[in-house]
Amino acid sequence: MLTFAEEILLLMLDDDGVFLPIRGGAVEYILAGAVLMDLAFANRIDNDLEQLTCLDAAPTGNPILDQALAHIANTDETKDTRGWIETLAGQETTEIRQQALASLIEHGILESQDKKFLWVFRARRYPTIDGRIEREVRLRIADVLLSDDIPDPRDVAMICLVDACGFLRDIFSAREIERAAPRVEQFRKMDLIGHEVGGVIAEIERSVMMAMAISPH
Amino acid sequence: MKIEEQTIDTTVVVSLDGRVDGSTAPDLEKHISAVVERGDTRILLDCSKMDYISSAGLRVVLVGAKKCQQGGGKLTLCTLRATCKSVMEVSGFLTMLDYYDTRESALASQS
Repeated sequence: MLTFAEEILLLMLDDDGVFLPIRGGAVEYILAGAVLMDLAFANRIDNDLEQLTCLDAAPTGNPILDQALAHIANTDETKDTRGWIETLAGQETTEIRQQALASLIEHGILESQDKKFLWVFRARRYPTIDGRIEREVRLRIADVLLSDDIPDPRDVAMICLVDACGFLRDIFSAREIERAAPRVEQFRKMDLIGHEVGGVIAEIERSVMMAMAISPH
Repeated sequence: MKIEEQTIDTTVVVSLDGRVDGSTAPDLEKHISAVVERGDTRILLDCSKMDYISSAGLRVVLVGAKKCQQGGGKLTLCTLRATCKSVMEVSGFLTMLDYYDTRESALASQS
């Protein structure tokens, strides 16, 4: 099973292997939230509306998760979920992204290509070799959102990340988005980590819009 | 956390006493799974003595509700204390799952 960070990174890539723009440009907060979700589902951390705590500092065997887990376990300061999203987003997301991409390449899902443009600049792309997993993730999200069934908590968390990225428009038609909207609204509240990731990104978006509105140019 | 079980008509009442958090949620998950696996998919979670629920606890409740639904039954909640009810309301669980303020009304809804 892929980690949340790996699954969401797959959805962040377009058909040419180029990263799509994220709402608020806040990819680091999405990845930080994804890592916290994996730690929660691995029973290493737990949280409520007020704080996030380490339950078990034993390594998971995944270097991305274990680095974040060690950070949480070795901190005396009490932080809430948003505090940890902001801390990890500020310090560890370049590594999270690189290690998650390396894992996807190792699994034969992506490949890494360096291309030059304008004869000088280099750009790295990650085209998909095996698109089955990405299609499976998209189908799973569509199935959950367009049914009335009780969702699996893992699907709820993933939908929170996809929604925070602003990617639901890539998965659904306008009519389907309208139909799924009440479920999306409900799911946003159901996963406390996903809820905080969405909250951080909405705040960033609001700040950017306010800055643009008051800018003289 | 203590878990007690009682069968009333066709409903299995699972009573929770204490904290449902990352340390205790796996026990609740095992208990609900065992009830569903033996074919009892109408479960009433009596939360009158549950004094705390964390994210891990909420996930286990959702997994249990999904298992009951897949088995053709339903997981219902009743008698939440104010703090836990507030958590369940804020996290949208009370709009997804059936909830009753009293055990009697919850049991009446099952018949």
